[in-house]
Amino acid sequence: MKTDLQFSDLRKDDTFAEFPLSVTLEEVQAYLESTGESVALWAEHVPPLFLDALVVAELLSQVKIPKGVMHTGQEHESHRAARIGETLTVRMRVASLSERRGVTLAAFEADARDASDAPVATMRISVMVAPDGVTV
Amino acid sequence: MSAPAVAPITRRIEQAQVDRYAVAGRDPNPIHRETPEAYAGPFGRPAAHGMILLAMVSEAMGATFGLAWAESGTFKVRWRAPALPPVGVTASATLRKDVDGVATYDVAVEDEHGETLLTGTTTVRYA
Repeated sequence: MKTDLQFSDLRKDDTFAEFPLSVTLEEVQAYLESTGESVALWAEHVPPLFLDALVVAELLSQVKIPKGVMHTGQEHESHRAARIGETLTVRMRVASLSERRGVTLAAFEADARDASDAPVATMRISVMVAPDGVTV
Repeated sequence: MSAPAVAPITRRIEQAQVDRYAVAGRDPNPIHRETPEAYAGPFGRPAAHGMILLAMVSEAMGATFGLAWAESGTFKVRWRAPALPPVGVTASATLRKDVDGVATYDVAVEDEHGETLLTGTTTVRYA
């Protein structure tokens, strides 16, 4: 299991330590206020993209992200709606990692499961890291 | 029953909104805020979080499909260019396929200058 990592430490198929994910109504409301969305639909359930945002945040907290990183792509599949207040368990791994001309492309796959280990959402986060001094 | 049209969403992104998202979305990366790093970075000024643009796509889908979007929705997107506040942006979805109660849309976010900032697809089971 990987924790407190440098980006350069990562290898394909590395897995991260599982982490719990639970969201309060206040956190959902703050998120919606920041994105400009209406809260009307989300009194009991978590906006699916908020799950992705929180998994990205966890990735940022576990891996020291170098300068020049760009979030280039995002994929998501909902298996059911996550409820506000329920605790999910997230597993994440390095799905791909490659380098070409100094530019590193990486993808991280994560799945969030409920207390009965049923899938709630799966996602894939793609990033690109340019070498120091290079703008993309 | 056929898949409905998804109404576009247009919004102006200001730096204050980006600052709020940095807290609520737990992404404090300095390239998104009024920091020396942002002005020394690839865009020469702060860029909005790409997730704010994607949230507009998600909002449009949620407004059309309600909780079904959270129960069965999928998306696959790539960011093509940064949104540099203040900037007006529009998220749109165009029906591409409608088969067995599952609708597939091509989605995009463009800025007020016509530049494409995000492209991708979404699906949702609506029947």
